Amino acid sequence: MSFHRLAVLLLAAVSLLPAAGKIFPYPWVQNDLPNGLRLLTIPTDFPNIVAVYIVVGTGSRNEVEPGKSGFAHLFEHLMFRGTPEFPPEKYQAVLKSAGAASNAYTSDDLTVYHTTFSKEDLPRILSMEADRFQHLSYEEAIFRTETQAVLGEYNKNSANPISKLYETLRATAFQVHPYKHTTMGFLKDIQDMPNAYDYSRQFFDRYYRPENTTIIVVGDVEPKKALSLIEERWGEWKRGDFKPRIPAEPPQDGARTAHVEWPTATLPWLAVSFRVPGYSDQGTEGAALDAIARLGFNESSPLYQKLVIEDQTVDALRAMHADHVDGEMFTILARVKKPEAMAAVREQILRTVAGFSAGPVDAAKLEVLKKHLRYEFALSLDSSEAIAGMVAQYAGLRRTPESVNRDYDNYDKVTVEDIRKAAGKYLTEKNRTIVSLTSANSGSGAAK
Amino acid sequence: MKRLIPAVLIPLFLSVWAAAAAPRVVELPGKSPLVTIRLVFTTGAACDPADKPGVANLTASLLANGGTKEQTYKQLVDLLYPMAAEISSSTDKEMTVFVGQTHVDNLEAFYGVMREALLHPGWRADDFARVRDNTLNALKVGLRGNNDEELGKEELYGLLYAGRPYAHENLGTVAALNGMTLEDLQAFYRLHYTQKNLMIGLAGGYPPEFAARVRKDLAALPEGTGSGCASPAPEVLARNQVTLVEKDTRSVAWSLGFPIAVKRGDPDYAALLVAQSWLGQHRLSGRLFERMREVRGLNYGDYAYIEYFPQGMFRFEPTPNLARSRQIFQIWIRPVEPPNAAFALRLAMYELDRVVREGIPAADFERTRAFLSKNVNVLMSTKSAELGYLLDSAWYGIPSYTEYIKAELAKLTVEDVNRAIRKHLRGDRIQIVGVAKDTAKLKEQLTADLATPITYNSPKPKDVTDEDKVVEQWPLHLRPQDVTVVPVGQVWEK
Repeated sequence: MSFHRLAVLLLAAVSLLPAAGKIFPYPWVQNDLPNGLRLLTIPTDFPNIVAVYIVVGTGSRNEVEPGKSGFAHLFEHLMFRGTPEFPPEKYQAVLKSAGAASNAYTSDDLTVYHTTFSKEDLPRILSMEADRFQHLSYEEAIFRTETQAVLGEYNKNSANPISKLYETLRATAFQVHPYKHTTMGFLKDIQDMPNAYDYSRQFFDRYYRPENTTIIVVGDVEPKKALSLIEERWGEWKRGDFKPRIPAEPPQDGARTAHVEWPTATLPWLAVSFRVPGYSDQGTEGAALDAIARLGFNESSPLYQKLVIEDQTVDALRAMHADHVDGEMFTILARVKKPEAMAAVREQILRTVAGFSAGPVDAAKLEVLKKHLRYEFALSLDSSEAIAGMVAQYAGLRRTPESVNRDYDNYDKVTVEDIRKAAGKYLTEKNRTIVSLTSANSGSGAAK
Repeated sequence: MKRLIPAVLIPLFLSVWAAAAAPRVVELPGKSPLVTIRLVFTTGAACDPADKPGVANLTASLLANGGTKEQTYKQLVDLLYPMAAEISSSTDKEMTVFVGQTHVDNLEAFYGVMREALLHPGWRADDFARVRDNTLNALKVGLRGNNDEELGKEELYGLLYAGRPYAHENLGTVAALNGMTLEDLQAFYRLHYTQKNLMIGLAGGYPPEFAARVRKDLAALPEGTGSGCASPAPEVLARNQVTLVEKDTRSVAWSLGFPIAVKRGDPDYAALLVAQSWLGQHRLSGRLFERMREVRGLNYGDYAYIEYFPQGMFRFEPTPNLARSRQIFQIWIRPVEPPNAAFALRLAMYELDRVVREGIPAADFERTRAFLSKNVNVLMSTKSAELGYLLDSAWYGIPSYTEYIKAELAKLTVEDVNRAIRKHLRGDRIQIVGVAKDTAKLKEQLTADLATPITYNSPKPKDVTDEDKVVEQWPLHLRPQDVTVVPVGQVWEK
């Protein structure tokens, strides 16, 4: 057991953000059970409420078999289908009596089950969760019905062109790695899900194991009490031994493009994307790419100010460099007001990207960004649920909130030269994929 | 030993409601280094002049996303950027709110921007053009193009309040927005951005003298008389009515409902809240969710509401500061595969009819009441939300929502709930909105006196298949003239 006691920044009546040092302001307790299960307990000063986030280190990245895209997400649904002790009605009744808000989500790398409730219900909730993670049980008929709810989820997402844009971007940029598909999965695979009952049992057996799971308890909670509850109900959970073989994506060999014709009225979208390495909390490469995303494309960047505020040819511009276990993408997204402006916007984005490797960024702007990032972080911690949600992302990558501190440490350290180097290494034509999306009747605008 | 006030009660002791003099201040001081400012103007889309739908929203958007007299928008963005702070606005029928959150380190600078944005707007033509474009795109692309579910929900309000100040979409119409001028916005601002309309909300670790200063600064607004734009009660439909919005889409999204004469503070509010939670607690499991999604796999979820809840597809908890003097009861059926669309609608109508006839069981009542009594803590899990609720409570004239709802729920009996259900809910005279591709076929299915059975991919228990035989023929009482088809391009066009 390790016990980290850090400066309790947010508890101070009036506090200044530290110029450097550990940014995560809450002390946390980490307990590793003999079966590999990890418990992170984070007491906060938000009263009455406890947020429990259970993170399984499995997402659509684990969908390696052909025809099985979307399965991690389907499994998230199946986890609500009950056990002999807690059939779904009883499970829901317990949540109801606890006044709980409960849900789950799946991403490329992880699946998160989260419940927020009044503190006195912690024993009941942890006990019931232990039961479903160890004794999930569902009949084939129930399984087939649940696959239709997943199709319903695809349907409700399908009205938004961003889903299609992203689906196309992934399918174009990746050839063998499961990041080739989105978390929802390919429609044909979703439609075939009802026939995969046996595979679903295998999926549970492989991945829903203690060594692949981290439980995060945040809020009005005593760490010792949380640990004894976990030991009592989760200690018997059997460790697994499955090691997924995730095919490595070969280096990209040149620029790729794709175009999506959207059947109904929409504004054109442009995604300019580059393959980048997976998450690391060591070194400043990740921090440099994050800095490029902000300095190049967020609201105070020269490009945003030109395209969105002055010329008003674009109404949304942002760059994303989301943390992933394996190498994924650095993506710039723009919504363009007129199809005929697509080519010019694309050129300006590419010129901005090229600028980062051609010369150094303004050091003063980098310092402003560092300040922005620390305040942004402080503002994001406005509830126990928000803290748990943030830690859950890190739990999927490194299983420790210490990575938060390391990331912000890397932001403090990143230099203009680091940024120039990272841009030159990754934001290259060879690594690039451009996808455009336009309304079927609004002219081409296709990426060339 | 000193007797301490339990932490949960501190907000009740510290919140201040200075009702006597405008502008009114609601405070939620605390030790957090984060400070939330919510400035609520009790005006909104219901105050839009009849020929200027959307002007309230556009005015607020320009104040929040435009420059001030002294500084351009670009300068403000640069100023706010190191603080990672921003000002957002939201306009509903009777409330417009400006929300800002900052670390206390930056409170002075941030508050300065917010104050100037409200007292001395820049009214620049380029800001106006940008914000108007964004609003037009939110309407045409965001709502009509990319979000079938919200489109259906908003259209439902429009139809129920036809001819009333609540009728038009808050964003306005395409034609009105295209014809709007800066002068229209300035006229709205002069009339409605007044001390009488203003409620100041502050939460977090701001210094003790801060509230008095904000109040004094904002007293520079004209005193005004108070907007009072509440809508008269809508007419009750004579029979079920359907509007089908036609667009090229994969599935069918349904919304249906009718006006209710119950809002927060009214005697039957808590009873109806229990009924709606039992029937369809938002994004959690209720009767509709269980019977439609869990048992039959019809779609992703099915919910019920007694208060306005926009953006439900993106949010688990409701947004505060959408207080309304008139509410509707609403059922939201998430997109359904077209072959099952008519069945899904019939099942929702069947369940609604059933709860009106039978009420809810006593055991479920206890469980639902327990849920709501505790879940209110989850609703208040951020200071910003807690402050928003306090402001709403002030508007509705009730104690803090937590205190109010716990006390009201404690008094309830299952008979109260079932009496309120019979009094306020009904299974007929319902406005239904569908967003669908093949509207001709759907219209035929809804109006022909034929069964619309569901098909399954797995065997179902006999009680379900028996119930299906009733549901597939559930009478909708619709004649062809009760079903209107509207191409999506005409919705909120003018």
